[in-house]
Amino acid sequence: MKPLAPISNPARIALGILFFVLFFAAWAYATFGGYVSKTFLADPLTMVEEGWLLLTKHGFLGDIAITIWRVVGGFVLAALVAVPLGILMGAYKPIEAFFEPFVSFSRYLPASAFIPLLILWAGIGELQKLLVIFIGSFFQVVLMVAIAVGSVRRDLVEAALTLGARDRGILLRVLIPASAPEIAEILRLVLGWAWTYVIVAELIGSSAGIGHMIIDSQALLATGQIIFGIIVIGVIGLISDFLFKAANRRLFPWSFP
Amino acid sequence: MSRLLIENVSRVFPGVRGGVPTRALEPVSLTVGDNDFVTILGPSGCGKSTLLRMVAGLDVPTTGRILLEQVPVAEPGPDRGMVFQSYTLFPWLTVAENVAFGLREKGVPASERSRVAGEWLDRVGLTAFAQHYPKQLSGGMQQRTAIARALANDPAILLLDEPFGALDNQTRSLMQELLLGIWERDRKTVLFVTHDIEEAIFLASRVVVMSARPGRIKAEVSVELPHPRHYTLKTSPEFSRLKARLTEEIRAEAVLAASH
Repeated sequence: MKPLAPISNPARIALGILFFVLFFAAWAYATFGGYVSKTFLADPLTMVEEGWLLLTKHGFLGDIAITIWRVVGGFVLAALVAVPLGILMGAYKPIEAFFEPFVSFSRYLPASAFIPLLILWAGIGELQKLLVIFIGSFFQVVLMVAIAVGSVRRDLVEAALTLGARDRGILLRVLIPASAPEIAEILRLVLGWAWTYVIVAELIGSSAGIGHMIIDSQALLATGQIIFGIIVIGVIGLISDFLFKAANRRLFPWSFP
Repeated sequence: MSRLLIENVSRVFPGVRGGVPTRALEPVSLTVGDNDFVTILGPSGCGKSTLLRMVAGLDVPTTGRILLEQVPVAEPGPDRGMVFQSYTLFPWLTVAENVAFGLREKGVPASERSRVAGEWLDRVGLTAFAQHYPKQLSGGMQQRTAIARALANDPAILLLDEPFGALDNQTRSLMQELLLGIWERDRKTVLFVTHDIEEAIFLASRVVVMSARPGRIKAEVSVELPHPRHYTLKTSPEFSRLKARLTEEIRAEAVLAASH
């Protein structure tokens, strides 16, 4: 191996698959070989079996749907407010000076720590779940969008000024289009984080959702179900990431090589 | 008639963290007449770009004033088109949309915009690339588009800040001919900043030589070579004489600049 030397596509795919093969082999070896008690870790076959039962008998598809709805709902609400605010902060320094200290502070507040408070305020219904996602993604998006907009190449702005662009033109036809691909990347990144918050929100005071299923399975010591739930989350994350990337490539053909 | 009037304009940059302020430009006075092509020639860091940026309104003079057609310059505006050394095409717009940018900001209707943009793309030989994005163009093509973008706005004066500085020699030479060809037809007033002596002579009707930092005007040399100019002019005896003279002027300054 040489540093930074490229590898062929088939080799890349084969290596990627190899990891999962080794992972499942090690898991199977530990469980079927009897090195780990069945109580603590189910074997891969049991996992698949329990997962199948979850989907066919216990309405797990409904849980998946409700979890996706919570993530997307909370995330879209956050993005609808956070992106415009971030753009204004990036473009106008007084607005940035006003909000930046508070947003920077709030960014470090863990969304999960708000759950008890949110249950007091909003009960244990859907609103509480959406609020957890909202808090978890809002401040991150605001700050990162503000930085993206604020770091648009200065010479592009100057070129637009010498072409007669005024404040509105600079904002709408230079700053926003110039930072749009980066904003889309930020949303893709933060959506990934939102997935971790929704599971935490569902672990406490919930009657449906992937997180709720995981907590129920813990009471039943059904480790196969827990692992199946975790894998489902990973697969959904992978799919949404892929869709986001594909959409970005279509929306911003000029920013990809 | 004087189109651009620069009167005792100087620029001092405040010191960083209580350091000594930098005097980038000593008071400079310069007049640029209608249809004039003036090149400002000077070593790096002589304040020539700062002077140009102040004319564009992107920087503010510490003292003095700048008048364009008797109106003081206060901020950037479409009457002073500018071409930068760095590639400043908007990457999210096609070549044609880039050229039409200024017209759009003026509120010109779409049909008129595309007509003017098409005309300018034709003049810089990029009609075939109208629907390309800037990243698909070579450096020379990008600068040609940038020139078309500035001129499509029909500015009172065209400002160029070492626009060909990043290009290879052959491309640079072709670009000089292209720009000169446009000027010979339209006689647009042009202020062109460069550190390349040949470029300064070849393009200009007048060369303004600037001294090393702090910059001031050291000499003004008018170039009486006939138009239209052909690249073979660069090997003519008159051209060589001018080049020898300017080389002497600029060498002393470069030595000074290097010893600082």
